[in-house]
Amino acid sequence: MPARHLIIGGGTAGMNAMRTIREEEKERSELTLVSAEKPYSRMVLPYYLDRSIAESHVFTATAGVLAEWGVKAHLGRRAASLDTKANVCTLDDGTTIAYDDCLIATGSSPVKAPVPGADGRGVHSFWTLDECRRLIADTRPGSHVVMVGAGFIAFTILNSILARGATLTIVEIAPRILPRMIDATGADVVEAWLRKHGVTIRTDARLAHIEDVPGARGSKTIRKRLRFAKGADIVADVVIMATGIRANLEWLKGAGLRIDQGIVVDDHLRSTVPNVYAAGDVAEGRELISGASVVHAIEPTAQEHGRVVGANMAGRQVPYRGSLSMNIVEVCHLDIASFGAWDDPKAEAVTGVKSDRSAYRKLLWTGDRLTGAIIVGLSSAIWTTNDIGMLKGLVHSQVSLARFKDYLRKNPFDIKPAYIASKATSKLLPQTVLGRPSKAPGTTPVAV
Amino acid sequence: MRILKIMPEKCTGCLRCEIACSYMQTGTFQPAKSVIRVSPFEGHTSYAPYTCPQCAEGWCMTACPVGAITINAAGAKDVLDDTCVGCKLCTIACPYGTMFYDPDTRKAFKCNLCGGDPACAQACPTAAITYDDVPTVDWLGDFAAERTTRLLAGVR
Repeated sequence: MPARHLIIGGGTAGMNAMRTIREEEKERSELTLVSAEKPYSRMVLPYYLDRSIAESHVFTATAGVLAEWGVKAHLGRRAASLDTKANVCTLDDGTTIAYDDCLIATGSSPVKAPVPGADGRGVHSFWTLDECRRLIADTRPGSHVVMVGAGFIAFTILNSILARGATLTIVEIAPRILPRMIDATGADVVEAWLRKHGVTIRTDARLAHIEDVPGARGSKTIRKRLRFAKGADIVADVVIMATGIRANLEWLKGAGLRIDQGIVVDDHLRSTVPNVYAAGDVAEGRELISGASVVHAIEPTAQEHGRVVGANMAGRQVPYRGSLSMNIVEVCHLDIASFGAWDDPKAEAVTGVKSDRSAYRKLLWTGDRLTGAIIVGLSSAIWTTNDIGMLKGLVHSQVSLARFKDYLRKNPFDIKPAYIASKATSKLLPQTVLGRPSKAPGTTPVAV
Repeated sequence: MRILKIMPEKCTGCLRCEIACSYMQTGTFQPAKSVIRVSPFEGHTSYAPYTCPQCAEGWCMTACPVGAITINAAGAKDVLDDTCVGCKLCTIACPYGTMFYDPDTRKAFKCNLCGGDPACAQACPTAAITYDDVPTVDWLGDFAAERTTRLLAGVR
């Protein structure tokens, strides 16, 4: 009897797992997908928001692809409970699915700031395709958009909001923007840049209340008044809450899996129940450099987790080397990126700032190795892109930079000679996630 | 598979590869838009071109959320312009620093071996860059390690 694999969640982790199962398996298995939404990429929603791509562009698996992969898909359904003793998953409509092994990849949901009025009409989150559609409908040229929260998600749609002709105000409870992506010096460089580009920023702003502004008689649009613990009110046409995300784990109560920050997984991404895997935002797994157990709710981790789980479900024994924190976002042609332990207080930090060019580098050292980095610089400057990639490589490869440490301390903007001469390339070339060359997307052979 | 074999000892730093590459990749004679990049060593007394090694993992390709990076007929990882949205995830996934982004087109771009007839190798007058059927290796590491001693002297 062929193996019965159940994939719960049609996001990045789930899709990569399914494709890898079909790439790796010798004998065609039964593959079932449960996904609350038709599979699409959240990463590209900002480009749908600014209408640089059509809506059809966001989907990662059409009905045709799922059919070609031989996936039995339960779309629009959510998993409601998991019985790990009987190996049965029950969906929200009562359907039961028996499995031999399953992947939990249910991702995250946005969390709104807990203030009165946050659930009212005209207060958006930006996470799902439906939310993106609603935001497109509500945002018009001249709209005043107020974004609550100045984190990574907020910044991914900053360009799109401006491109729609709206004016933008960002309010942040912390004393600075991007508190979980870059340090205070980097945030200062970015904030100065955004102000120069017409974005209003208010930090240290604790939102207290959101209420409707009475409109003209017969007016269908609702304006919103944001009240703060201190300081003036702000009136907005559109409010977007980008105040964080939370992993979708509630439905697993009683499933018997060990859950700490996320579902605790071993180096093969198995939970404490060996035939139940977890991947992406819900998984707490190995970190690349420290080996610590972490949740990295980022696209690259979901992708790598998904592929490793897929290979293991298909019968291989692939250990996961660990995930590396990484983020990049571009705002008004300024690139902002960070890698690894960029906020490690124990690391030795070297910084360089060129305020006139809005450029910043921070290198974090543990001994002779780079364990974290922050880069801010103009997208149009070729050295920004060069440094982003090479600093990624130095952190990722953990190559020794003993010879270059003093040089980089004095020249934190001159990464390239250190990268090439440290032979990071030699160390990286043999590395693959699955122990074999990757296949191109769309060329997955379907085992018969 | 044929790849770009780089023998840095032969490079004179003439930048013809960058000119040819930028023209092939973006239609402009603009070294800043070349995906092969010549680096100076030892106070501009020696040079070496550096480009995508067409690695086995294809970090750029596996990272792309919309499958916009594929493997072309020459075996090179190649960006499909119509599919790329410009999210830059490939630029942080690639650990070689060889993914690029064109702010004019808002697309990622990279070495695609010109589909099987690389312009840089054609343009190189000293055969420092050749298109050969050899395994990809770290062509520059030893060369650069030897030629950074003057850079590092007197740093302390």
